[in-house]
Amino acid sequence: MSSPNDIKNGTVIRYEGALWVVVSFQRVAPGKGGSFVRTRMKNIQTGKVVENNFKSSETLEFEEVMYLKMQYLFTDGQLYTFMDTQSYEQVEISKELIEESVPYLKEGLEVTVSMHEGRALAVALPKKIEYTIASAPPAVKGDTASGNVTKEAVMDNDLKVQVPIFIKDGEKILVNTDTGAYSERVNN
Amino acid sequence: MKSAETISTVQLRSPQIAKIRMDALSAIRFFFVSRDFVEVETPLLVASPDMDPALSPLEVRLKAGGKAALITSPEYSLKKLLGSGMKKIFSLNKVFRDEEAWDERHVSEFTMVEWYEAGADYRSGMRQTRELILAVATALNVVEHPLLKEWEVKRMEELFAENLGVEQVGLRTREELLARARRLDIHTHESDSWSDVFYRLYLAKIEPTLPTDRATVICDYPLPQAALSRPCPDGVYAERFELFSGTLELCNAFTELTDADEQRRRFECERAERERLGKTVFPIDEELLRLLPSVQNPTFGNALGVDRLLMTLLGAKSLDEILLFPPVRLFGPPSTS
Repeated sequence: MSSPNDIKNGTVIRYEGALWVVVSFQRVAPGKGGSFVRTRMKNIQTGKVVENNFKSSETLEFEEVMYLKMQYLFTDGQLYTFMDTQSYEQVEISKELIEESVPYLKEGLEVTVSMHEGRALAVALPKKIEYTIASAPPAVKGDTASGNVTKEAVMDNDLKVQVPIFIKDGEKILVNTDTGAYSERVNN
Repeated sequence: MKSAETISTVQLRSPQIAKIRMDALSAIRFFFVSRDFVEVETPLLVASPDMDPALSPLEVRLKAGGKAALITSPEYSLKKLLGSGMKKIFSLNKVFRDEEAWDERHVSEFTMVEWYEAGADYRSGMRQTRELILAVATALNVVEHPLLKEWEVKRMEELFAENLGVEQVGLRTREELLARARRLDIHTHESDSWSDVFYRLYLAKIEPTLPTDRATVICDYPLPQAALSRPCPDGVYAERFELFSGTLELCNAFTELTDADEQRRRFECERAERERLGKTVFPIDEELLRLLPSVQNPTFGNALGVDRLLMTLLGAKSLDEILLFPPVRLFGPPSTS
């Protein structure tokens, strides 16, 4: 039995007869009284996502999960293939289970994969990922006058990010995977 | 001209953060001092921190004094000063909470402005809170922001009626609220108190409806949600309000209850609950109980998170962006597994 306070992304919970993998969570506390963990969780059979608020003092049934460092290899559009960096074994995860992470994936990216009974269920991304700018058109004249100091840029994996106007094609930047926001320029 | 959009998504650098924080803290001090408030320095290290079971004070051991803790709010010290005869006081200081984890909205050490005014109630306090926020925005040259638009003021009772079809939520029993939660497929637990079920309904059906293009003030909480505020004239609700920017809570305010017997009863309940949860039980602050009856009725009190206010006004997505030393810089990245 575990506490909702121990919930992490990728935790697998047995709840109302089904297995659910945690997609995201947030601690919330009213001004007075107990605190809650707002948990978005995905049914691993049906892919259905629900939101439940667990009180910190409740007990939950966590399934044993192994967290393995893996590298993202490729996708056929539906299944995403990752490779264990220790054993070189490959696993596949369907798009529905990792929808939130898909835009950030790029070949060779190292992620943490949650394995439950031999099945890969979820991936945890690094907090920040480095990308090379594939295309960052110069800011249009007038943009700055209207108060914009950012412009849209396309990364080397097609991810779109708002970046400061001084960023140019071919530069490397770090993107925050929690917020999808530009974090900083990487100096070579 | 600077507005929220110009800064969002672009990381601020240390000199900018330092300047923003200095300007904001100066504006807060000027706001209160020019209204005849006295800034008071209250202890950060105390023997009796807040006993709210939801809070985990950081515990420390003093060579000279034994067990102690860092404050989660200066409330007890400020109320003692009110009980000693002071009328208008504020504290601008660090407070500490031993959070389970840090995220965009929670860190273990943050800056809070907390103020009390004898003779004022939560209605005038609401206007004063708005003036304070406008003063901080002005100091930061923020001229356009959802928080600066007129606030939507909603009574908790209205929100329950509109979003859940629950009329007069303050008069509903725990069982009635549980039945509504079950009908809506909202997770509940056998250990839930009335307040727990109330809050589950709020989180599931009300919080997601809070507007993002303007701030919301939620006021008049049912009594069990605000046992230390003065009851409204109807005796069912209490004079408490919270200000939300989107779903981000910025402050928590009361027309304070000054009944020492009620306060003692509340402390005893909190002690018992802390014991049940296996949390450290701290000694009851007897000096506070002694001085509480001398606090004038009404007295308005409000605690506002300064870091969250800055994060909101500057359009930052995370507290890290407006702290000179965010937790990740001090303690390294959180583990992902």
